[in-house]
Amino acid sequence: MPTPPIDSAELARFESQADQVAALQQHKQQRFQLWVYVSWVVMFAFLIFAFSGADFTIGPFRITTISLDTEFIMTYWEFIAKGVWLTILLAVLSIALAMVLALLGGLGRLSKFPPAYALATFYISLIRGTPLLLQIIFFFLALPQLGIRLPGLWAGVLALGLNYGAYMTEIMRAGIQSVGVGQREAALAIGMTQPQIMRRVVLPQALRLVIPPIGNQFIAMLKDTSLISVTGFVWELLWRAQKVGRANFRSLEALLIAAVFYWIITIMFSAAQGRLEKYMARGERTI
Amino acid sequence: MSAIVRVEGLNKYFGPLHVLKDIDFEVAPTEVICIIGPSGSGKSTLLRCINFLEQPDFGVIEVGGVRVEAHGRGRAYRHKIHELRLKTGMVFQSFNLFPNMTALGNVIEGPVTVKGMDKAEALELGMHYLEKVGLADKQDEYPSRLSGGQQQRVAIARAMAMEPEVMLFDEPTSALDPELIGEVLGVMQQLVEDGMTMLTVTHEMGFARQFANRILFMDNGRIVEAGPPAQLFDNPKDERTRDFLGAITRLGSHE
Ligand SMILES: Nc1ncnc2c1ncn2[C@@H]1O[C@H](COP(=O)(O)OP(=O)(O)O)[C@@H](O)[C@H]1O
Ligand SMILES: [Mg+2]
Repeated sequence: MPTPPIDSAELARFESQADQVAALQQHKQQRFQLWVYVSWVVMFAFLIFAFSGADFTIGPFRITTISLDTEFIMTYWEFIAKGVWLTILLAVLSIALAMVLALLGGLGRLSKFPPAYALATFYISLIRGTPLLLQIIFFFLALPQLGIRLPGLWAGVLALGLNYGAYMTEIMRAGIQSVGVGQREAALAIGMTQPQIMRRVVLPQALRLVIPPIGNQFIAMLKDTSLISVTGFVWELLWRAQKVGRANFRSLEALLIAAVFYWIITIMFSAAQGRLEKYMARGERTI
Repeated sequence: MSAIVRVEGLNKYFGPLHVLKDIDFEVAPTEVICIIGPSGSGKSTLLRCINFLEQPDFGVIEVGGVRVEAHGRGRAYRHKIHELRLKTGMVFQSFNLFPNMTALGNVIEGPVTVKGMDKAEALELGMHYLEKVGLADKQDEYPSRLSGGQQQRVAIARAMAMEPEVMLFDEPTSALDPELIGEVLGVMQQLVEDGMTMLTVTHEMGFARQFANRILFMDNGRIVEAGPPAQLFDNPKDERTRDFLGAITRLGSHE
């Protein structure tokens, strides 16, 4: 329960004014956090209540909530849950491809070699200029027309990786640029070549910097994998939910199950991301 | 004895700005040269042209028998610049240690990556130079955990580990808190005593007077006056030198 405000007797325990101020500030901070948690629980409880199927009257008011087919849920949740791994696998493979492409794109954007610069900007423009959903469908439906038939998983990874790679190019470029010119000069002065400077000095420092924003991209990617479901070739979370939902006229239940899984995955990876960011900040090295 | 560094007809422009004007001088082996002069007179640019961190516009640079013209293209030319850089070591005002490597990692980076030295051998060499700068016990520390003075000493060890023929120092103590300057100057003094050839841009007049064989005074892109410290400090010929020395001694007298 919310803690009562600190009274002056309590404050008197602290010797200096600075300690009193610090204690008050910490107290305020804790109260804020506590209220946030309480509100979350209330909202969550309300959400559960809204789908509880309860139906009753209080005085003149009739309260009706949405009732779900629990039998359907019990029967099919496992089938839908099996898509979780494929969703995560898709996101992991796609982000890996995207990182490689973003790195190449970022290097291209910074290159003084015209074709490299042109290739990078062309790639970014092409991908940013067309919808992600179109790109995904293209890999599944247009390529087979040319006789190129990729396994569903790889077509999905290719589409998502290419798309995210273009958007992440800016992240990589900023990361590379953040490494000071003094670093390059120090490396040149001991006789390092450009590729050696990239590999040994610039990239290790740039990668530290881009890990947090790439984590954010990964979390967005987890949800964008659901777009692959429209192709019908990859049995990830949303595809499975739609399949059993439609077949049983229980799309509401099926989609809710999928939503819950997406939400849980996102919360888990966001927490991991938060810890990673804290860890990286702790080791922050300045020059 | 023949010169170890030759700078001939060096000119450098930044856009329309003529930063170095007809610079000519030679440095003999084991000679210690201090370059002084007002801010913006081209001291840093001169040092940076010697190892081609800045590309000169006219003239020739020669270090340890490697002659490189201001202009050139292609693989052979780039290789010559590389060779010239291997003959020089440089220490920067802002240290520029690699923050992603430990102190020892910084020192062995050149020998391992550039020279392809065997790791065990490089570690031994690296420890030797860390000991020389008095930081053997800091081998595993990252630069962020070292003081400015310690970082600069590691930077000196990093440059020395490439066993250059000439060391270039660009205001190595200017970024340091006053109480840390001494430890860096101490390491530089040791290099002098070991017979290292050194070109140092510095405001440390005490160091210049005690250890330099020759002082170069620069103003507005030219070497205005050069000579042994006793002559240049106590009996400057050029008015600009007198003005500059007057200005810094007035400042110094407040301390
Ligand atoms: N990269 C650069 N681009 C343009 N101008 C520069 C650059 N580096 C130095 N300058 C200019 O060249 C002149 C000489 O600079 P510098 O050699 O750093 O002088 P010093 O080291 O004697 O203070 C200054 O006017 C400075 O503003
Ligand atoms: Mg300077």
